[in-house]
Amino acid sequence: MIRLRTLQDYAPSVEVRRVIYAFAGAILLFVIGQIVHPGFGSRNSIQEVLVIASFVGLVACGQMFVILIGGIDLSVPWVLNGAAILFVTSALGQNSRILFAVPLVLIMGLAIGLVNGAGVAYLNIPAVVMTLGMNGIMQGLTLGISNGLTCSSCASYAPPILQNIVNGKLFGIPGELLLWLGLIIVVTFALGSTTFGRRIYAIGNNAEATYLAGIRVKRVTVALYMLSGMFSALAGIILVSFGGQASLGMGDPYLFQSIAAVVIGGVYILGGRGNYLGTTAGAITLVALVSVLLAENMPDYGRSIIYGVVLLAILLLYGREEREA
Amino acid sequence: MSAVTRRRSPWTHFVVQNVPLLLALFLLLASLIVYVVLFYGNEHRIPGNFEATSISNNALPLAIAATGQTIVILTGGIDLSVGGMMDITNSVTAVHMHDSPGSMVLWSLVVILIGAAGGLLNGLLVAIGRLQPILVTLATLSIFQGIAIKILPTPGGQVPPSFTNLLTNPNRPTALIYVALIILLWLIFRRTSFGISIFAIGNDRQAARANGVNVLWARVGAFILAGIMSALAGMFLAATTTGGDATTGDAFTLTSIAAVVLGGVSLFGGRGSAIGSVAGAFVLTLLINILFFANINPLYQSFYEGVFLIGAVVLTVLIGRYLRRAT
Repeated sequence: MIRLRTLQDYAPSVEVRRVIYAFAGAILLFVIGQIVHPGFGSRNSIQEVLVIASFVGLVACGQMFVILIGGIDLSVPWVLNGAAILFVTSALGQNSRILFAVPLVLIMGLAIGLVNGAGVAYLNIPAVVMTLGMNGIMQGLTLGISNGLTCSSCASYAPPILQNIVNGKLFGIPGELLLWLGLIIVVTFALGSTTFGRRIYAIGNNAEATYLAGIRVKRVTVALYMLSGMFSALAGIILVSFGGQASLGMGDPYLFQSIAAVVIGGVYILGGRGNYLGTTAGAITLVALVSVLLAENMPDYGRSIIYGVVLLAILLLYGREEREA
Repeated sequence: MSAVTRRRSPWTHFVVQNVPLLLALFLLLASLIVYVVLFYGNEHRIPGNFEATSISNNALPLAIAATGQTIVILTGGIDLSVGGMMDITNSVTAVHMHDSPGSMVLWSLVVILIGAAGGLLNGLLVAIGRLQPILVTLATLSIFQGIAIKILPTPGGQVPPSFTNLLTNPNRPTALIYVALIILLWLIFRRTSFGISIFAIGNDRQAARANGVNVLWARVGAFILAGIMSALAGMFLAATTTGGDATTGDAFTLTSIAAVVLGGVSLFGGRGSAIGSVAGAFVLTLLINILFFANINPLYQSFYEGVFLIGAVVLTVLIGRYLRRAT
């Protein structure tokens, strides 16, 4: 669809505004939480929320990369779950095996992303179908090979060193949050200040023009799906290190949450606009909302409904497209 | 177009125009043959009345849901709330319907109304709220799932046996009558002005608008129809399982998309047929039976479904490329 762009389209203010909205939403939720449930705004409680949000933030980082070029990754749940189980069964709870297990799992994530990206870029398979099929493939493989998580090594714990890094504190800040902070800085820099980042936005805005400008669009596409696979796998490793053990279905909530965090953070679902700071804010807002509802003993069904209503409200606030001529 | 265009025979023209649909029907035929062969190898007899009944009863809810999904996908949208809507009507049917004709008619109408209301909500948010269908229906999926659990917190309830007999007769493959009805209605629907406008906005919304199509109404109407079909699918699902479960519909969001894709409908909109999607629904159902008779560990089931889905799409893409080069 051809539409003349006005100066307004290029003004950064819209994007900056959305990031501010998302952060304001998160802060507002902490304030509301503190009012209805005193202690919710305490340092410890905020830290807990942020740690949970960091898991969403990790997955959402990969999801954001593919959404920025107009794609989507539905294979998140079982890539994460498969990675978690592969990690515990290859590390067997021993520190000495970390250097073998962590790269193995990350390479698995990259390899899955490679297949996803190749299918989308080179075979023109719609991203929804490709990653949906891949989710099924990973679900079947994970369940089949681990025999429904009944294998003898499936009950292994994460190696103690990793448990300590994720749960431990440095200068009073949980290690997991420091990891996330590092990721935020790296990704924000990569998107905003490198040619790789410029290429991503270019493809998201107009893939054809980007191709004509000499960018190897297909390669970048494959690379981004690989990143998404890797971040899902990384989230699997860290979730296991946080909770100790792997379980079946542990990846399921992360599909809805990663997409919601990306969109709440102001990333345009059809690509080309948005950044990781917003996504970070989106993840925090989402998890803070759940935590407030949990603190209020909101039953399951109510949480599910409020989730949907809040997502719609935020979308109506700033997700609207320009009116068609 | 080249200066000298060879004229195709009407038959060649039909084949080239309908490659994806023909592939879907071929896929259905192939999986049917594989199923019969495997069945014969295991049971030493040809599948009979019982197998036909069970397969068509199992495929029916998916076929109905996939038909609704097809209409939305034809407009260039997608409906992720299918599973949530099925959860709601599945629960409503199991909780409220009694064994009397009045109650059955009443609650069937209520189910249709619920579907229309849910679809209207989706459609208004997409068309007037100007939001992306994938996001709107992701949000309403969550809302619908919540409502369903509120209606039926734990699996249970009871569907009157006479209602089960009417919708999904456990003794005879009468479900095939409903399938024939869906196909008949579809053939009429795509020739109505509303049906034509669905295809038109899926192909080129601006051009459709310029040609006098009421884009707003067509988009909202597509979601309403999809909502009604999902609602009916949930009711049929309750009839086959003779009870209710507020989460049993969840899987249908993704399987309905898979059935549509296997049916050769383009996810970019404007191209495809609900007949293909119904075939896709039967292929997916047959696949589960094939895996069973091939003695494949059920834990691997979704692996083969995923491979099959991607494989079928790759095949369509490759054959499409080959045909474009050949003609």
